[in-house]
Amino acid sequence: MPTRTQIARGLLAVLIFGGSLELFARLDDYISYGAPMWGVYNAETLYVRDAIGKRGIPHARFRKWGLNALGYRGPDLIAGRPTVVCFGASETFGQQEREGSEYPRQLEQELNARAGAQAYQVLNAAYAGQTVRTATLRVPEIAAMARPAAALIYGVPASYIEPPPLDAPPVPPGRIEQPRFELRIVDRVRTLLKGMIPSSVQTWLRTREIRADRGAATAVARLPEANIQRYRDDLSKLIAALRQEGITPVLVTHVDAFGETLSDSDRALLTSWRKFYPTLQEEGFLDMERRANDAVRSLGAETGVPVIDLEKAMPTAPANFTDFAHFSDAGAAIVAKTLADGLLPILNRE
Amino acid sequence: MSQVSILYAAAVLVVWMTARVSSSRPFRLWIYLAASWIFYFSLDARFLPLLVLSSVFNYHYGRRIRRRPRVALLWAGALVNVALLGVFKYLPAFQALFPDSPFWQHVRQIALPLGLSFWTFQALSYLFDQYRGDETRPSLGEFCLYMGFAPTVMSGPICRVGDLVPQFRAPFAGSWESVREGAQGVWVGVGMITLARMLAAGHGGFGVADAFALRGPLGTADAWVMLLGYGFQIYFDFAGYSRLVIGVARMFGFQLPENFDRPYLSTSVTSFWQRWHMSLSFWIRDYVFLPLAMSRREVWWRHVSLVISMAVFGLWHSASWLFLLWGVYQGLMLVGHRLWQQLRRGAAPIGPRWLRSAASWLLTFLVIILSWTLFRAEGASHAAGILTAALIPAAGLQLPGGFVLLVLGLVAGYFASQLAVSRIPQRAPGLLSWLPMPARFACYAAIFYLAVFRAAEAQGFIYAQF
Repeated sequence: MPTRTQIARGLLAVLIFGGSLELFARLDDYISYGAPMWGVYNAETLYVRDAIGKRGIPHARFRKWGLNALGYRGPDLIAGRPTVVCFGASETFGQQEREGSEYPRQLEQELNARAGAQAYQVLNAAYAGQTVRTATLRVPEIAAMARPAAALIYGVPASYIEPPPLDAPPVPPGRIEQPRFELRIVDRVRTLLKGMIPSSVQTWLRTREIRADRGAATAVARLPEANIQRYRDDLSKLIAALRQEGITPVLVTHVDAFGETLSDSDRALLTSWRKFYPTLQEEGFLDMERRANDAVRSLGAETGVPVIDLEKAMPTAPANFTDFAHFSDAGAAIVAKTLADGLLPILNRE
Repeated sequence: MSQVSILYAAAVLVVWMTARVSSSRPFRLWIYLAASWIFYFSLDARFLPLLVLSSVFNYHYGRRIRRRPRVALLWAGALVNVALLGVFKYLPAFQALFPDSPFWQHVRQIALPLGLSFWTFQALSYLFDQYRGDETRPSLGEFCLYMGFAPTVMSGPICRVGDLVPQFRAPFAGSWESVREGAQGVWVGVGMITLARMLAAGHGGFGVADAFALRGPLGTADAWVMLLGYGFQIYFDFAGYSRLVIGVARMFGFQLPENFDRPYLSTSVTSFWQRWHMSLSFWIRDYVFLPLAMSRREVWWRHVSLVISMAVFGLWHSASWLFLLWGVYQGLMLVGHRLWQQLRRGAAPIGPRWLRSAASWLLTFLVIILSWTLFRAEGASHAAGILTAALIPAAGLQLPGGFVLLVLGLVAGYFASQLAVSRIPQRAPGLLSWLPMPARFACYAAIFYLAVFRAAEAQGFIYAQF
């Protein structure tokens, strides 16, 4: 039997080991990214909440993501240079790409390379979780600050699986709620485990998590038509708001990592997508994407807004995606080229 | 730590346990050989047949040389090995001379087999040793294991038949003590690799590669900081890797030759080349420099031999003018050091001893750090730009402050740690056991953090390209 002293020494050793790991994680953040040693450090520290919703803090930085003076990702805008604004969510923000490889930044390089001069700049007005509705509310402010000539709208249909109620009360402005204390080592351990655990085990764990998150709610196999209609209506309002400000809207169809036939790894990927939206069954996602893109095309035809059909142009090769819908550097480059193809004639016309 | 690293670690454990319980030497040998070939196959499946073919050919050819030690036979065998290197390693480099030729376009596509330069040099040393009458008589299995030995097949250390084969024949020496020693080596190696990766990743997304990608006029501080960064990156990377594989081999009871011995503490270029990539340096000394130098008696020829040997050292890395120049530069520095020694022989020493040592160290350090320009630059004009900035004082600093601090901090930390290590009392057998318990566990946590969270961010091992 271990003595009390041995137990105490063992506990102390565990405490020192764990505490040191946490300290090294903070030191690592400090050295690598200039992060504060103490206090909370996560992606949400980039934002505050105003009357409309989340907005970036000017010049804030989290790891590889840096915001400009307007609170949007990327460098500061240059006055007088024609600007294209990109609306979207995490795919547009560039969740997975290396810094400078997110598609809005690559689009800027592509446009300028084709123009043979620094003729254009692209404002990345997206953040993870942004909906078409909040983007619409931001239009007057962006129009006043950046005076964009055109706006690319890369809507995310998945945000309409469980949309907030239309009469939801606004969240009061202020700082985004953060825990008082967080262990940074925990996030690293989670990422490490993700890389170590076989995909089949991860899928099983996700399935259990989905079941727990869903609770008593029923999971539907097909997204109700009302949700698609709401997506279409919100896009329509965004187009109207942009036109009112004299900005040319351009719609872009949404693209995901799935081809015509699904492999086992595709099914695992669908489960990981569903983890964020437990009330829609896996097969419902592909159907939702198809119907939402049809809605985008029909809206474009109806309103005379040009549509860049990224869904048709983008190969669904695994190398182009890091998960179900987020782009790799290579994928973002294809997106940028496709968008530049569609956008340049419009910009030239403007 | 990825699934692949866990798989490799599990494989090491399985092979170790199998070797420990096995009392049959041949069975153990075949287990090692199978494991080594499977390891090579997992890294570069295309070229395992080439490794096997080269092993079988050199084994039989070495036996033939031993039976009839004729110089023509030796050179023919050496030529086959050099031709192998030529086809896979050097030929693609010549495509630049014929950019429009479809034939050379195809040649450019030839991939470099993993570890080719390392195991081909092992084969060459075997042929030379057999010619010289080396008494080691490996069996085919032993020779194949010598060529494809898992810890060394990828990037050395370059071993000799006489060092390894007797160890293959000895009883299993993987005691708990050797496992402990080996594990310490692995930890230290992983820690060093992590430091290399920290330099590669840099600060705020700006690393060593980004520094070398800077264009436009560089300041003198820019040039020295980027050279320091690269000099320490390549040292931590390769020395860490060497320490790691020596540690893994030690767990099985094998004693591999050391590859690095704190080279940046050298007080002369001659001493540096006895402490940097030692297995290749000694190979060049034994099989290039000594035969060359002994072919004539004149002193000047010894100096020429030194320069030629170091040029071969440079070309071993790649067929490029910059590597050739790098080798010639090192050769000239070695000759310069010899001449200086001759000049000072019998002369009264200048200044106190510590000052002479410090000045020698600083000069050696600067000469070596400056040489990394030729090793790393992307072309002659790029190298010229860096050298000009380093040697002709120019104001201005393009490099981000965070990156400069990271490089200088790591360099200062390295020298401080070397100073501390030299003062540690050798009371306890363990690497950290002399520390009080809280400090010891904090160190374990540091090593664990570096190994698990930082070394996992794989960014390519620099020497794998050679």
